[in-house]
Amino acid sequence: MEKHYRNKLSIFIFAFPGLLLFTIFTVYPILPQILISFQKHDGFNSSGWVGFDNYIKVLRSASFWRANGNTLIIVLISLLVALPLSLLLALAIDVQTPKTRNFFKFSSVFPAVLSVTVISQMWVAMYEPQWGLINSFLRSIGLEGWAHQWLTDKSTVVICITIAFLWQYIGLNALLFYTGIKSIPKQYYEAAMIDGANFFKASFFITIPLLTDVIKYVLILSVLGSMSLFAHVRVMTSGGPGDSSRTVIYQMYYTAFSTSEFGVGSAIAVLFIIECLFVTVLINKFTAKERIEF
Amino acid sequence: MKMKKQLSMFFTVALAMSMIGCGGQKAETNTKQAAPTETSKTETPKPASEEKVKLRLMSLSTDENQIKILENYIKKNLAAELPNVEIEFEPGGGGEDYSNKLKTYNASGDLPDVWYSEAGFATAVISAGNQLDYTQYITDDSFIKNFAIPEALKFSDGKIYALSAGADTYFTPRIFYHKDIFEQNGVAIPKTFDEFMAACKTLKEKGIVPMSIMGKGGWAPQLYMVQTMIQSEDPQVALDLLQNKTDFTNPVVLKAVKKIETMAKEGVFPEGVANLDYGPSLELFTSKKTAMFGGFSWETANLSADPNIGMFMWPTSNTQYATEDVTQFWGSPLNGYAVNSNSKNVEMAVKLAEYCVSQEALFYAEQGSKLNLQTNVKVGEQSELMKENIRLYENTKLKIPTIFLNAMDAKTGTEFGTIGGNLLTGAYTAEQYVEDFNSIWQENTWFKK
Repeated sequence: MEKHYRNKLSIFIFAFPGLLLFTIFTVYPILPQILISFQKHDGFNSSGWVGFDNYIKVLRSASFWRANGNTLIIVLISLLVALPLSLLLALAIDVQTPKTRNFFKFSSVFPAVLSVTVISQMWVAMYEPQWGLINSFLRSIGLEGWAHQWLTDKSTVVICITIAFLWQYIGLNALLFYTGIKSIPKQYYEAAMIDGANFFKASFFITIPLLTDVIKYVLILSVLGSMSLFAHVRVMTSGGPGDSSRTVIYQMYYTAFSTSEFGVGSAIAVLFIIECLFVTVLINKFTAKERIEF
Repeated sequence: MKMKKQLSMFFTVALAMSMIGCGGQKAETNTKQAAPTETSKTETPKPASEEKVKLRLMSLSTDENQIKILENYIKKNLAAELPNVEIEFEPGGGGEDYSNKLKTYNASGDLPDVWYSEAGFATAVISAGNQLDYTQYITDDSFIKNFAIPEALKFSDGKIYALSAGADTYFTPRIFYHKDIFEQNGVAIPKTFDEFMAACKTLKEKGIVPMSIMGKGGWAPQLYMVQTMIQSEDPQVALDLLQNKTDFTNPVVLKAVKKIETMAKEGVFPEGVANLDYGPSLELFTSKKTAMFGGFSWETANLSADPNIGMFMWPTSNTQYATEDVTQFWGSPLNGYAVNSNSKNVEMAVKLAEYCVSQEALFYAEQGSKLNLQTNVKVGEQSELMKENIRLYENTKLKIPTIFLNAMDAKTGTEFGTIGGNLLTGAYTAEQYVEDFNSIWQENTWFKK
């Protein structure tokens, strides 16, 4: 029976509906966009072909590179801070008693199921310079000097949006890790404990290596999710002040819909597709290990 | 194993692409929509008298006045006035959200039957052939006779694309203030910009935030602040910009923008003003957390209930013009109720638009506003604030159209706001503004039409 599932025809039959839907709804709509990227297009009418002019315009635009820089910052924070934190949170959930574990599991998922608008507005209120929670707290403990105009200072706005974004999804990632942890057989830990391993050693030498597949999955989700960050930016700052908190996706939206330069916006989209493909290849290259069977 | 890897790669790539997915089928849908008005008119099916015609109406849902018009007038009187029409009401949001929603509907061929049009995006809908020219319809049914100045409805191509009660022609920038806060702190209504800054300094020293404005997206600089400051220096430069006879490197523009930079740096506005939305900025004023509110006279009706609120005009810096001599006015023939030229029931949609604009006129007439669309409403006692608003308007010698609405294409207008918003951070100079915005202005296609 298992043999049947492993032959190419079976794999094709099972994958075909998914492939077909992806092709129709994801791959196909990109094709006209590629064509538009070579036209002067206002979203309604084309004024003709312009060759690579739109691409040149994009690549010479300071806003585009600023948006790329912002996107990179968000991805790096997501990878270097949020991902390890999610894993730590998962390990912490695992050692709780069943009662507290349920509380932590609920708390982890709750922000992720809330509307992005609700979350973003909540953080806007928290960052509010005069009566917002963060500045009020800082003032109350005598750190008046640390109070800040968080969302209107160009040096802090991107970090602040990233915190709101990651706060919403860090728990969900933790839960994914937790699910992976639960699938690891308990005997491994018992054997390690007999050999004198403590919690940290067991986590480092057993849990993390056996979570490779889950880590890879969360890694891809986190990177692509961070790269396509849009809604939080839209609600919290509309990309401002000026263009200082735009991500690449927001830059694409702004160019196409706000300034009605759909040709240029499509060129940004095509360049972003290339960036995503590059990142995907990188992730696959660095995480392409043989699966550990257990 | 290899195939599994390939499949895994494909799904990952597809997932990446799905994150980017953005409608790109504009050109195709567009060609299908562009049906001539006459065809739509002749093909309009006559609904059976017993069955209701379903129409979709999209309105501004963040504008306090528009909400009141919809809830207290349009919805209230609909059954009596248009018994054969069933309306699907769609709240459209406001500002950039509203504009982008309309543009997307326009591109996807899903425009409502009737919507509230705004000059900022209307040219895009018109050029796609999707916004009805009312001329024939409102002439045939004589609705046009209700307008005191029918010419005010005509766009530059001579066609009528929007029906407006005409109140917005009378909308001008105003500074609302709390009389008691001014009195308690010994502040008089400023007549010059220097007096204004001195008043703000006094208020600030007393721990009062002088003025709230909407700064998010550069709304205030975009809609009136830059123009008002230019006018306060030299009205002729504003008129020249409207006719493309000068550009933003004009020294008067630099001096004008410098004032906004100064206001931001001197703390005239609340902290974080560059990210302050309209509702919260008004709330700061009505809850007395700020002494003044910079906005338009369309807030007069809302603020009239509080007799402690007064208004004055932005002070001038030009000794040749008194503060009340020059103002900017908001109106545009593209603001108002528009009809989808591809609606299945164009004639009923026109009737609905006529009904909506009549209700809008009723609302403003009852507030005592001046209107182009005449009503039978006998205005009762006007509030002091409304009287002051009308007095200021009538005393103004020179009324200048809004540059943002009447001299900028979509891109220039949007960047006018975005770059203007930088000024409110206090970390962006007027010189940078001139350099950044003038390059956008040079690419402005408005005057090439």
